[in-house]
Amino acid sequence: MEYTIKYKAVNTYDALIDEAFWQFLLRPEENTTQNVRMARFTNSANAIVDTSTNTFGFPICRVHLKKPLDKISFEASYIISKQIENPFSALDSVVNSVHQDQIRSIDFKIEHERFLSATQLTQLLADQAPFSFDQSRSLFDNLNDLNSWLYHNFSFKTKVTDVNTTPVEFIEKGAGVCQDFTHLFLAIARLNHIPARYTSGYLHQGNGYQGDSQMHAWAECYIPEKGWIGFDPVNNLIALENHIKVAHGKDYTDCAPIKGVIYGNSKKNETTYTVEVEAREASDPDVILTSETYAPMPFKQQLAFQAQWQQQQYQQQQQLRQQQNTTDTSQN
Amino acid sequence: MSTTQQSIFSSYEKDPKFYDEIFDEKGNVKQVYQTLFDLYSGHSSQDFAKLNEKAKASFFNQGITFQVYNDQEAKEKIFPFDLFPRIIDPEEWETIEKGVLQRSKALNHFIWDIYHDKKIIKQGIIPLDLISTSANYLDQMIGIDPPGGIYNHISGTDLIKHSDGKYYVLEDNIRCPSGVSYVICNRTALKRALFGVFNHYNAHTVTDYAQNLLEIMESVKPRGVDEPNCVVITPGVYNSAYYEHSYLAKAMGVELVEGRDLFVENDFVYMQTIKGPEKVDVIYRRIDDAFLDPLEFRPDSALGVPGLFSAYKKGNVCLVNAPGTGFADDKAVYTYMPEIIKYYLGEEPILNNVHTYHCSRPDELKYVLENIDKLVIKPVDEAGGYGISIGNRLTKEEIEKVKQTIKASPRKYIAQPIMSLSVHATYIEDSESFESRHVDLRTFCLLGADKEFVLKGGLTRVALKKGNLIVNSSQGGGSKDTWVLKK
Amino acid sequence: MLARVANNLFWMGRYIERAEHIARYLNVNYFSSLDAPNEKSQSRDHVLHSLLFMANGPVDDDYELTEKNVFFDIGLNSEKQFSILNSIKYARENANGARDLISTELYESINKFYHFVLNYDKDFFITKGLFDFTTQVAESTSIIRGKIRGTLLHDEVYAIIMLGVNIERATQVVRIIQAKYYDALNAQGGYDKKFSKSYEWTTLLKCIEAYDMMRRHYKKTPTSLSTLEFLILNPECPRSVMNSLVQVNNHISVLNEDKFPGKDTAAFLIGKTHAEYRFKTVDTIEGNVEDFIEKIQDTLIEIAKKIEKEYFNY
Repeated sequence: MEYTIKYKAVNTYDALIDEAFWQFLLRPEENTTQNVRMARFTNSANAIVDTSTNTFGFPICRVHLKKPLDKISFEASYIISKQIENPFSALDSVVNSVHQDQIRSIDFKIEHERFLSATQLTQLLADQAPFSFDQSRSLFDNLNDLNSWLYHNFSFKTKVTDVNTTPVEFIEKGAGVCQDFTHLFLAIARLNHIPARYTSGYLHQGNGYQGDSQMHAWAECYIPEKGWIGFDPVNNLIALENHIKVAHGKDYTDCAPIKGVIYGNSKKNETTYTVEVEAREASDPDVILTSETYAPMPFKQQLAFQAQWQQQQYQQQQQLRQQQNTTDTSQN
Repeated sequence: MSTTQQSIFSSYEKDPKFYDEIFDEKGNVKQVYQTLFDLYSGHSSQDFAKLNEKAKASFFNQGITFQVYNDQEAKEKIFPFDLFPRIIDPEEWETIEKGVLQRSKALNHFIWDIYHDKKIIKQGIIPLDLISTSANYLDQMIGIDPPGGIYNHISGTDLIKHSDGKYYVLEDNIRCPSGVSYVICNRTALKRALFGVFNHYNAHTVTDYAQNLLEIMESVKPRGVDEPNCVVITPGVYNSAYYEHSYLAKAMGVELVEGRDLFVENDFVYMQTIKGPEKVDVIYRRIDDAFLDPLEFRPDSALGVPGLFSAYKKGNVCLVNAPGTGFADDKAVYTYMPEIIKYYLGEEPILNNVHTYHCSRPDELKYVLENIDKLVIKPVDEAGGYGISIGNRLTKEEIEKVKQTIKASPRKYIAQPIMSLSVHATYIEDSESFESRHVDLRTFCLLGADKEFVLKGGLTRVALKKGNLIVNSSQGGGSKDTWVLKK
Repeated sequence: MLARVANNLFWMGRYIERAEHIARYLNVNYFSSLDAPNEKSQSRDHVLHSLLFMANGPVDDDYELTEKNVFFDIGLNSEKQFSILNSIKYARENANGARDLISTELYESINKFYHFVLNYDKDFFITKGLFDFTTQVAESTSIIRGKIRGTLLHDEVYAIIMLGVNIERATQVVRIIQAKYYDALNAQGGYDKKFSKSYEWTTLLKCIEAYDMMRRHYKKTPTSLSTLEFLILNPECPRSVMNSLVQVNNHISVLNEDKFPGKDTAAFLIGKTHAEYRFKTVDTIEGNVEDFIEKIQDTLIEIAKKIEKEYFNY
């Protein structure tokens, strides 16, 4: 399959910001089934973009802005090829006690410790888990059951949860977005000793799958002998050629598509995103069509002398609050 | 003579329950303190009252103060300084020095192992849970090789002397141990106040700390850098340890920066100077892990530098101490120190560990709950003396409350037998005389690539409240100049 | 040097200088008014208004002009941004931010000064302590200036502090001239008929501690013309605007090594202003004092802005 992916984010602020850093985790992963043929990342302020890698080795783009503005937009475009996989290769219903022993061994636990420990967003106590594994079924079947259990018992609904919603809150609400489905999936899989990681990416929505117009999320689990397999509880699917993976991590925090640090007096900001995934023919030329052209934002005058000084005082106050809260550890 | 002696030591109570640093069991002055004792006895109590005032004013005027926040109002306070120094003889010091160095090295091996192969867990010596559930364990550090292989460049080990006359380690501090500036200030202050006494003793200098710290920092420079640019990063002027940060920067001759002075570009760190950006190679950071990089850790941190962690991960900058060392000075890990030392160094521990009960182990929890009145209960991940309960000081209701808290989250608590800290002569303003007060000792140990250093001296902290066992400055403690005598 | 720290040093210099000028103005203006030769100059309202105007600009109509209020607000009111107490507090805060770069001796004298001001008895100050307090403030700032000159390397650190000191000095001297100029206008009539021979000119010179030297230089009673000439254009008068500009010009050259600084730079503007005043004569100022004051104030603000933008942008 061939896809064109377009991501666009527009940030607006209620006051001028003086300086800002943004970090983007958007580029589809290069792996055995995915190949990025073309990539482009632009921002409306024409600020310099540099690249780095995150903790899990995924490439990130960084934008460091040092001029005052109150609106900025970012656009990323990718052309990728994705191999079609055999949907039956993942299936495995053979109950193997060796697997059960293996996932309980200390060496296995150490190797996968990162994806076995609970994080704040995947915190769930064993007695709070609403779904339990059936030891007479294979690991894969259990996970697949979990996948459809989530699909049938929770509804996809935006604006009922936010980025800090925990599995416990999601269970109470009974509805949420792909992050919430995924976090609960991870929590239950980890409670059952299965390494599970949060996966972010793009979903080809041509087939009517849910995932709204933002980035999609699903879970990847490690099954002995099989390796990592993706489960998408929002659509009750195994992640195959419709799922274009970007990154994985312990939870959403590791995979947030955009992170920002803003300096200035702005107290409120708004971000709007759009994501478009389009299938294309392999024979189409590798050209990214520019949807709009961006004029550079007008350069606003530097804040006045007095205002700058006030600003410094403001920053100092902000710092003051934190400094009082941070103990220089083991001091005293 | 006898009358003046009467007056300044008259309130000194000798309690056989505690080890006395100055007087032996018969009540005679120990040999090493004899000269000092005679010299001090030659001064009147008015002299000491005056000297004490002068010393306090000197600290205050130099701005060697910390802020105490009470209902919005900030008050400046000095860290009380005591006029009677603590003396450590050369033999005793040799053991301490070897012992703290041994612990620092073992901890460094331990941290390396945990962030790489976790062999010690695979061998079953310590449980995986101890690490993976620790709030200070950073999985971001997995697989990172810090320059020179050093994590805990600076360690502060707290020692006490028990009633059996032996030193015990109370805890290791390998995040951002503070207090070293007071060691140096105390020496300066005592020299100014009572310069005469130094002629009779031959104490090691403590002013070489900053030079050694700089050499340690330079030894862990990133690859490809000839002359590293070293800086100290502080949370800012309102931080209670700001004096120390500025002292160390000044004494090393390096810049004292705040987070907003630094920025990261292409995974290199730069500071904004009046002549434009300048690359930074080694950062002695005095801000907590969580605040280092808002893109990687706490997103609301206004103290850190966005992108700093990825520069560190690439090996383009060295952080001193490394991020993620905090799990290893956890009080629960402390109890495994003898095993950790044996495992990595193949040596017997030189310094004693205080016996510790883990509330996470059911049989030990049972013992703790039944014997609270004989124990000190400590939370495993709090610093600064917060959250400590001393069993024999609690009322019945308080004991019940403590029991409930422990039962609610046993992993969070450990218990130790009540250790009796040794006592030392300490000037007490109210009585204008020297009385006995409990003391401990914080040592400072530095590890670099092929270099190590233990400061010959340390911070003797003293609990100024009568009978109090908690010496932390946040709990009303003071400190003493500490002399390590030359052989 | 870090840009932020340079900013701290610059403002430390400015706040120290500001505190001193305000204290001196308070002292001289108040005490000389007590036995001033004309009624207006003696009037309480006139003097108190002048004091507040100099410290904080135009005075609100509903401000209650009592000695207690005015003294307290200018001297020790921690809620008034312009108070001497706050100037010293900000000076110390800025010194704190640059503590690793300045000498222990300098820090200690600023710190002692701060605690002196902070702990000064407020009731004593508004009833009896005006002379004592303002004199001590002026003396302490002298000590601090001595420590700046005597204990710091005369490098960039010194240059930046001195830039702050001299820009603030010029600014404050212009403000004092402005305040006294209005006082002289208001005091016209009666015994003290002539504006050009107003008693206020003597007070003005005393506020700037330039009276004795002025007498030595001109050997005549001060007039509006000679006073303005001395305080603005005489490069030998240590607190004249011209002298400050000479200093600023010297110190900026430590930071900017270009022989021919670019047109938009601080160094260029300073050089240009310096040259302009070198060839200015007093008759172009007289009769147009208000415009002149406005213009020089704008220029000083512009210079400070450019310095901030070029060197302190962090």
